[in-house]
Amino acid sequence: MNALSRRSLLRGSAAAAGLFALAACRSAADSGPTAASASPRRGGTLTVATGIDFTPSLLFAQSANTLVQRLVFNTLTRYDDQLKPQPELATSWQLGADGKSITFELRDDVLFHNGRKFTADDVVFAVKNLQNPARSAQLRSTAAAVTDFRKNGDHELTLLLTHPVSNLFDLFEFMIITDSATVEDAVAGGRLIGTGPFRFGERKPGASISLTRNEKYWNPGRPYLDGVEIRIIPQADSLLSSLKTGQSQLSYNVQGKDVATLGADPRFRIKPYDTGAGAYYIGVNVTAEHVGDKRVRQAIAWAVDRDRLVQQALGGYGLASSAPWPKSSPAYSDANATHYRHDPDKARELLKQAGLGPITLPFAHSATPGDTAIAQILQYDLKQVGIETVLQPTDSPTMQKQLISQSMPALWTLSHGFAQLHPATLAVSAYPFNEARNSSHFSSPAYTDIVQRAWNRADSDSADAKALYQQITDTLLDEEFVIDLAIGGEIEVATAKVRGATLNKFNYLNLDDAYLTA
Amino acid sequence: MRTFLLKRLPSALLVLLAASFLIFLILRLIPGDPATSLAGPDAGPEAVAAVRARLGLDQPLPGQYLHWLGHLVTGNLGPSYAIGGQVADLIGEGLGNTVELALGAVVLVIALALPLGVLGATVRRGPVAAAVRALTTAVLAVPPFVTGVLLVLVFAVTLRLLPPGGHESILDQPDIGVQYLLLPAVCLALPSAAVLARYLGDGLERALAEDYVRTATALGVSRRRIVWLHALPNALPSAITVLGLQIGQLLGGAVLVEAIFAWPGLGQLAEQGVLRRDYPVVQDLLLLLVAVYVAVQLLTDLAYAWSDPRIRWE
Repeated sequence: MNALSRRSLLRGSAAAAGLFALAACRSAADSGPTAASASPRRGGTLTVATGIDFTPSLLFAQSANTLVQRLVFNTLTRYDDQLKPQPELATSWQLGADGKSITFELRDDVLFHNGRKFTADDVVFAVKNLQNPARSAQLRSTAAAVTDFRKNGDHELTLLLTHPVSNLFDLFEFMIITDSATVEDAVAGGRLIGTGPFRFGERKPGASISLTRNEKYWNPGRPYLDGVEIRIIPQADSLLSSLKTGQSQLSYNVQGKDVATLGADPRFRIKPYDTGAGAYYIGVNVTAEHVGDKRVRQAIAWAVDRDRLVQQALGGYGLASSAPWPKSSPAYSDANATHYRHDPDKARELLKQAGLGPITLPFAHSATPGDTAIAQILQYDLKQVGIETVLQPTDSPTMQKQLISQSMPALWTLSHGFAQLHPATLAVSAYPFNEARNSSHFSSPAYTDIVQRAWNRADSDSADAKALYQQITDTLLDEEFVIDLAIGGEIEVATAKVRGATLNKFNYLNLDDAYLTA
Repeated sequence: MRTFLLKRLPSALLVLLAASFLIFLILRLIPGDPATSLAGPDAGPEAVAAVRARLGLDQPLPGQYLHWLGHLVTGNLGPSYAIGGQVADLIGEGLGNTVELALGAVVLVIALALPLGVLGATVRRGPVAAAVRALTTAVLAVPPFVTGVLLVLVFAVTLRLLPPGGHESILDQPDIGVQYLLLPAVCLALPSAAVLARYLGDGLERALAEDYVRTATALGVSRRRIVWLHALPNALPSAITVLGLQIGQLLGGAVLVEAIFAWPGLGQLAEQGVLRRDYPVVQDLLLLLVAVYVAVQLLTDLAYAWSDPRIRWE
């Protein structure tokens, strides 16, 4: 009897060994990062892990996954770290004296992946495409300021504007140049055809996107990589495992608390972007009971402990700030960022001045673990000053519908983008701050006036422009219909082998100069 | 039989029609809508309205329902709203991947349950018996999301033997595909293997207590021969019934395991469809599941009718 059992066990073990032997033929598990050398090297496929799948219909909008935009396509210009535009498909440009036109000289050596030559007509199409509301492009208002086009040959183009626009180059950082003939197919989930460093290969929805090197890329010698594989891994723990095992080499979706643990591991390189991918905030519906009084909103701003939130919810990766601007913004100042500090006594005093005792407010938040943690931290802080909150975990589509239909409860917490650009963009393109219509039901002629003056001007960096940005900030800090909490920068987690990956201001992944070390 | 089938067919079609109506309605009752989801958090009402018009969601609900039914009748399921691509392709690919995972798990269930069941029935005392009992109890007690994480930790992160997640088709690249399949299939198979091993062990134990076993032993037949050639075939039918029931659970459990191992099957597709309010994907997927159940029910009725003429004549 026992002999039989032992044989069975042995056979079982042999079968298991066989499976592992099969697994050993070629390994799907990476041997892990090795020591890195720093000189650029041609070849190799970079695997990027992301938690969110690419949504084809949001190709022209800033969405949660904008990895492919700058891999397959190019933009006219790109910003440097100081928001100064640099040439890309446009080699040079001249702004009209009245600020109501801009003339571009375009590259004449650019081919789309289907072999067609890039011309000024493609820029005309790109602008008109963004003017189409169905594209959901957040910078549509800026695109809509372009009313006419004048071509001078195939590679010189003048855009005529209804009024000067201070955030014009935000548009050109955002606007990808697509092949007009295939764009409808692209937004329906078909092939993407651009002029970028990589050709769109295969997309397996929910699983992966593969891209191959564009051998006819206009930038000589680039890209270094032979290909890019984007893996969709929705579970945060699985994404982390993918990096730890070397299956993936780069990700921008590692949660703050996990970044902190990887930061101590020499196999990984952590690079926080201070461009501000998003800012966490408490939104306030100013038509709701109690919070219509700005003193109550200011009390909330004093009540929250932003530093604790950054440490506990964001793993220390973020900037506690009561203003929306990241450090790279021309509107940033330390004084604005620290305008509201954690001061429960001041919060109680303001509530007293508003004639309020203990109050209870509904508080919506996204039902993800990270956002729930943030809501719970804020709930505790508010409770200390006498504001009880009833948390309302809400799934993302429901929350978006409530936001857009202006039917949010008294309080909610979310994150917003667009503060990383020229400040006017935030107030004309980010819905929470939109002067004409926003989720908070906030409107003020003074706010509208300042925003319009900041937007309708040609210069964006002059002293006058900066004075207007400060006025916008002052209004935001006074009215507090959006209570900013922390600037959460994009965090790059890469194995030591990966060099040269960058993001643009809209989180488009740029791998022109990226390479894998030996 | 044909008459019997013709009698049953209208009720099956009616069930499908009623299911399609309920699925359509329930999805519309869920808060949130695809247009706002697609337009993004910073979109204004105009952008949302444009997306809604593009998707046809600005049409009255009866019109939308009929439009969907029209797609179903013509066999063209149409495009997905958010995920991208054609719904038929998405479901086809997801179904293939889920079936691949479930089949891998079934093979493992049998491979694990058979020796464990035989060991449990033949080795009644000692450390081997205790180990088998402890193993099956532990595997049954630990939920798949814990087993999955542990498997990844041991075999992917620590030993670096297998990838922590993802998918490569086992048909395209068998040697790579099997490595991707192994951990999720083990995770999915373990609870079912434990259940099956226990049923098989109990059945085998009962069979070994039968008179014919005593007679065979008295005639000098070897123990191994008695177990494998005489007792086991008698214990198998009830175990096969249990295996059949477990396969249904495997498909259900695949949803969770797919999430842990980033396996792009129907479970992940359904989750993504619901989260992004991709109505066409969710509607067609749910209706497909209903259709499978209706078809199985119809086939069962046919089988009964075939085996029992009285049912045919009712």
